[in-house]
Amino acid sequence: MKKLQKLMTLALFPMASVAHAECVPDYSDVTLTVSTQNGPYIASALRTAGDSWEKRTCGTVKIVEFPFGELFPKFVTALSQKTGDFDVIGFIPAWVPDFAAYLSIMPAEMQSGDDWDDIHPVYRERLMSWDGEIKSATMDGDMHMLNYRADLMEDQANKDAFKKKYGYELAAPVTWDQYYDIAEFFTGSKAVDYGTAEAYARGGQQFWYFFSHAASYTNNPNTPGAMFFDPVTMDAQINNAGWLKALEDYKRGLDFNPPGALNNGSGDVRPLYAGGTVAMNIDWADSGVLGASEGSIAGNVRTAVLPGSTTLWNSKSDQWDSFDEPVASPFLAFGGWQLAVPADSTKQEAAWSYVAEVTSPKVSGKAIVTSNTGINPYRFSHYEKLDTWTSVFTEEEAKSYLGAQRASLDSPNVALDLRLPGFFSYTEILEIELSKALAGQVEPQEALNTIAAEWNKLTDEFGREKQLAAYRSAMGLPPLD
Amino acid sequence: MYPVRYEDMVLTKILESKHLFIWPAFLTVLIVSLFPLVYALIVSFQSIRLVPPIPPRFVGLDNYAEIVSSARFWGSITTTAIIVCISVFLQYVIGFTLALTLHHNVRGASLYRVVFLLPMFLAPVCVALIAKMLFHPVLGPVNDLFTIFGSPNISFLTVPPLAIAVLVIVETWQWTPFVVLLMLAGLQGLPSDVFEAARVDNISIWRRFRDITFPMLLPLSIAVIFIRMIEGFKIVDTVFILTGGGPGTSTETLTLFAYNEGFKKFNMGMTSALSFMFLIVVIVFGSVYLAAAQRIVRRYK
Repeated sequence: MKKLQKLMTLALFPMASVAHAECVPDYSDVTLTVSTQNGPYIASALRTAGDSWEKRTCGTVKIVEFPFGELFPKFVTALSQKTGDFDVIGFIPAWVPDFAAYLSIMPAEMQSGDDWDDIHPVYRERLMSWDGEIKSATMDGDMHMLNYRADLMEDQANKDAFKKKYGYELAAPVTWDQYYDIAEFFTGSKAVDYGTAEAYARGGQQFWYFFSHAASYTNNPNTPGAMFFDPVTMDAQINNAGWLKALEDYKRGLDFNPPGALNNGSGDVRPLYAGGTVAMNIDWADSGVLGASEGSIAGNVRTAVLPGSTTLWNSKSDQWDSFDEPVASPFLAFGGWQLAVPADSTKQEAAWSYVAEVTSPKVSGKAIVTSNTGINPYRFSHYEKLDTWTSVFTEEEAKSYLGAQRASLDSPNVALDLRLPGFFSYTEILEIELSKALAGQVEPQEALNTIAAEWNKLTDEFGREKQLAAYRSAMGLPPLD
Repeated sequence: MYPVRYEDMVLTKILESKHLFIWPAFLTVLIVSLFPLVYALIVSFQSIRLVPPIPPRFVGLDNYAEIVSSARFWGSITTTAIIVCISVFLQYVIGFTLALTLHHNVRGASLYRVVFLLPMFLAPVCVALIAKMLFHPVLGPVNDLFTIFGSPNISFLTVPPLAIAVLVIVETWQWTPFVVLLMLAGLQGLPSDVFEAARVDNISIWRRFRDITFPMLLPLSIAVIFIRMIEGFKIVDTVFILTGGGPGTSTETLTLFAYNEGFKKFNMGMTSALSFMFLIVVIVFGSVYLAAAQRIVRRYK
């Protein structure tokens, strides 16, 4: 019996060596703990990439999921206390300022080559960069876009009636005024019940919708980086005339939303569009995919860059600047999901290798067209390969969907999301006052003044100089002398 | 001088050695139960933020002063008090009525007993999710019912008074079974001879309830209401799911306020101070209630 065992061991030994030799690189003793929000969104993409990474490197990937609301406290506690709990974390760019000090730098070899150049520069050079260093890798591209229904907008009867009423052609709106004209036109029409759907609920990602409106009036190309704060003094700008106009617009939209819209989060906005209740909506890429794949409007999903404005507030001159053509200021709301390797991870090399796997053109190219991954395009190759989208969209839909995303990113006046230490302290105040103004409990200007005062107070508490440096970095501005 | 007896010496030794057993246990309990409170009290006098990390700084009573001067704090106390007072009152009245009905062995009482208790076993998060669907402004069956009578869609969760009413209804629905359970146990423990004597004397049902049942169950009633009041003050998950404290802060309860300070702003000093303010509020409400209850008990004596 013992002889037989010895013979079998001898026979299996070369096979085992061959197996190890196939591990490139060999991480057979490595178990990576990767953490992100509860699946399937994002987590399922990390699992799929984990399977291919395990196959290639013989390592093991353990995915640890938390509800989105718990993610930030879990990560910030683990990172600041250096617990070493996680080897890779999946999070949103707004948290980078709070995490940056505890993250490792992306290996130099990952910051060059075709795969690197394939990432759109808005992500590669702006969202992935913090204080001149690359400490995170985008794994999902995100921005707010306008979704509309082709069957309604291209219908000749609708076109004629619209032109008769408003004096111009019915088409995807390029200004917010046009957006509200179209929303008003379709509200209570024979074709559809309501004009549009946006999120207004406190805690329902409301403030990103408000930012999308505000970008069009405050992200002035003449005053770069002055949308949220003065980039020299760090004084809050949220109570200026541009923001007031945005809030009044955003509130006006309630008239064209389904009843109870004040309690609608982004999760409610999607089925309203996909189910055919509304003619348009503002959302991330999810509405388009849902509408085309599971909705009653399949085949009629169209996507456009967010509306802009011909007048933008100049915070330096305290006046409105006028432009001949509408200036589009597509807002990179949320900015997608990113991966980073904590500096206290003892397996950094393997962890970055896993990050490279998740974000590789091949693996990510599959993830963007796999349902429920929550992954949206962020690489040039994602936008260019139309044929990979046939499982989700018709050719027309795919062209419109990818075209709007690419055009948003390519826009010279693209607006980046707020990224600042203590992000949630700022947005908490914003959400409270915003929902008071939307519910009519306070006047819009009063709400904005309160937010500005509280933001300035927070900035002083956190350290004005420190916050200013962080804000300039987030807005892509060089440090002040 | 009397010679010391051997038995006395042994007894003294035993009495001395008891300290060896008592003190470690006493100190462990003291550390485990009191340390977190003492630590939280110390933190409440400091300015500590986890995000962005700011080194601890002693600020004395500043956190408390800021809380007391904040309209949001007083608003959250008012909201909590309204929800607790109305919902506990309804829980008690409905719960006691149901307990009386079940006590009189109506047909199918055992089935009702199980059915009435079900809501209590559900997690508050699930109850809130069910309520969110029920009161949905477009899809909810409650709105469907109203529209049958020609009413327009009602935004139950975005109009402050209606949102508070929904929270009261949800709290009442979920926790009335708790009152039923305890009051039923109390009713079953009452001596039957008193009621038989009342029946022989031909005393009406109402007088039997008013002069016998209610006074005899008064101590239990006071305890049940007290427990529900203390528990009611801790309401957080239902509000978080249903309204998120909005619109604005009009449905924000004390615990949700503390949660937002702690887990959104990571303002640990302020959160600790809020926890102690919460404790003070509960003690004040509890004391007022117990004082009022004592007067009622005295009247019935």
